[in-house]
Amino acid sequence: MSNPVIEIQNLTRDYGQGRGVFDLSFSVEAGEVFGFLGPNGAGKTTTIRHLMGFIKPRAGRVRLFGQDCFAHAGELHRQVGYLPGELALPEELTGAGMIRFTAGLRGWKDTRDADELARLLELDPRQPIRRMSKGTKQKVGLVCALMGEPRLLILDEPTSGLDPLMQSRFVELIGRARARGATVLLSSHLFEEVERTCTRAAVLRAGRLAAVQPMEQLRRSKSRRYVFTFADPETAAAAAARWPDARAEGVRLTARVQGGESLPALLALGAEYGARDLETHGLTLEESFHQYYEKEARQ
Amino acid sequence: MSGTLLRRDAATAWRPFVIVGAVLAMYAGVVTSMFDPELGESLQMMMEAMPQMFAAFGMANAGSTLAAFLANYLYGFLYLALPLVLILLLNSRFLVRWIDRGSMAWLLAAPLPRRRLAATQAAALSAAVTLLCLWIYGLGLAMAEGMFPGELEMERFFWMNLGLWALLQLLAAICFLAGCAVPDSRLATGTGGGLCVLFLLLDMLAGMDEAWEALRFFTPLTLYDPMALSEGTAHLWMVAALAGAALVFYGLGTVIFCRRDLSL
Repeated sequence: MSNPVIEIQNLTRDYGQGRGVFDLSFSVEAGEVFGFLGPNGAGKTTTIRHLMGFIKPRAGRVRLFGQDCFAHAGELHRQVGYLPGELALPEELTGAGMIRFTAGLRGWKDTRDADELARLLELDPRQPIRRMSKGTKQKVGLVCALMGEPRLLILDEPTSGLDPLMQSRFVELIGRARARGATVLLSSHLFEEVERTCTRAAVLRAGRLAAVQPMEQLRRSKSRRYVFTFADPETAAAAAARWPDARAEGVRLTARVQGGESLPALLALGAEYGARDLETHGLTLEESFHQYYEKEARQ
Repeated sequence: MSGTLLRRDAATAWRPFVIVGAVLAMYAGVVTSMFDPELGESLQMMMEAMPQMFAAFGMANAGSTLAAFLANYLYGFLYLALPLVLILLLNSRFLVRWIDRGSMAWLLAAPLPRRRLAATQAAALSAAVTLLCLWIYGLGLAMAEGMFPGELEMERFFWMNLGLWALLQLLAAICFLAGCAVPDSRLATGTGGGLCVLFLLLDMLAGMDEAWEALRFFTPLTLYDPMALSEGTAHLWMVAALAGAALVFYGLGTVIFCRRDLSL
């Protein structure tokens, strides 16, 4: 495909002590919902600051719709909805005031679609922002970013502070944006968030690109921890002996499964030894990728 | 310029503006009412008793006309210091605070080129200074005509106020430039304000003692001489120079703002 919406070539910005981004290159095509994954401090926000034209690249090129992000920031932003990672809404405004202010800066009179978004997110925008909870502020930020149906959405940690129900609403909103052909870049340190919304994702570690893969492929590398509880420690130890890398502690057995292909076998093992309880834990991105790369290195 | 942003500026500016305006009105009333052509002599005696103290606050010469009297007691210090407080506060609210809190991200994400954003905020600050000067000018005229009809020399009084306007624009432009150029937004207000206060102090010291006379060359306040303006002996190019420098600094601030990195 040609004419990518987002194009980053050899972007480098060194903040010293290993912080920053280094020789980053990737592109996002029109209509993609692109996940930008990485632990805190991996360089996600730094990359987004470049995309928004807040800072100039020290080396490399950053372009949106084929135009330089810094030089043409003003014009480009007509087509971009942006949600900052650090919200920093002007505290003296009400939610509605902030929405009107954002619409005004964009030169719109009509805020009807903002009302619709607020309704979907169950936001009462009349309170002053300084009295809002973190989650409510996040909703105000989302309304400001999504209103007016921009062609490109750049969302930095969009669901932070939202409860699970609102996270689902957010997934729905991204689905709508995708349906109308918008391109989305969404950063997160949570695998699940990206998994639920994105078609492709880049993984960033310590400012460098670790992988850019379709979601399906990344999902296979994701691992989960399963904890079984057995009747007594002996049973737990016996079951652990039959599973690679499994660990028994007292009556509890902890096993890891990557990608889910061997899950039926693990469940069968648990059943065979008469498991009384089963807990599942998603690994953090860092843990799961650490494991993923370890495995690759061994092969 | 952005109308939406200007309205936001007005909403954050009017309260401090009204407060400073009210304090200025109080001083204008009190000082004007103290004018008494007959009483000039007793003030002259006080001044002879402690000349340096009076000189420091730009009150070297009590003057015999109402314009000179006002130039001496209001335009030398009070009308500089109080508006400076407002300038610092407004520059912080229009520019520095947006950067410091990170809310600038919302402004930069809007489809406004940075040039327009900075120009809007410079225009807001400049407009506030102009409004304040109009208030000061109007107050002076009203008080003088109310208490001493016909005493005020209109043309000289006009020039005193125009000079004040040009000087305050320059101080505002220095603060604006500092807000745009100093990378640490917390230091920005201190840098702009510190420079302005330093200029004011240098002017005071230079007026106090002949030994410090040379300090005049290190402060732009030298270009504003309210006494000379009130007596009709001032060089009007100095007023133009102040206004010109203000324009340059506003422009320079805008250019720097357009080029700098803002890690929001």
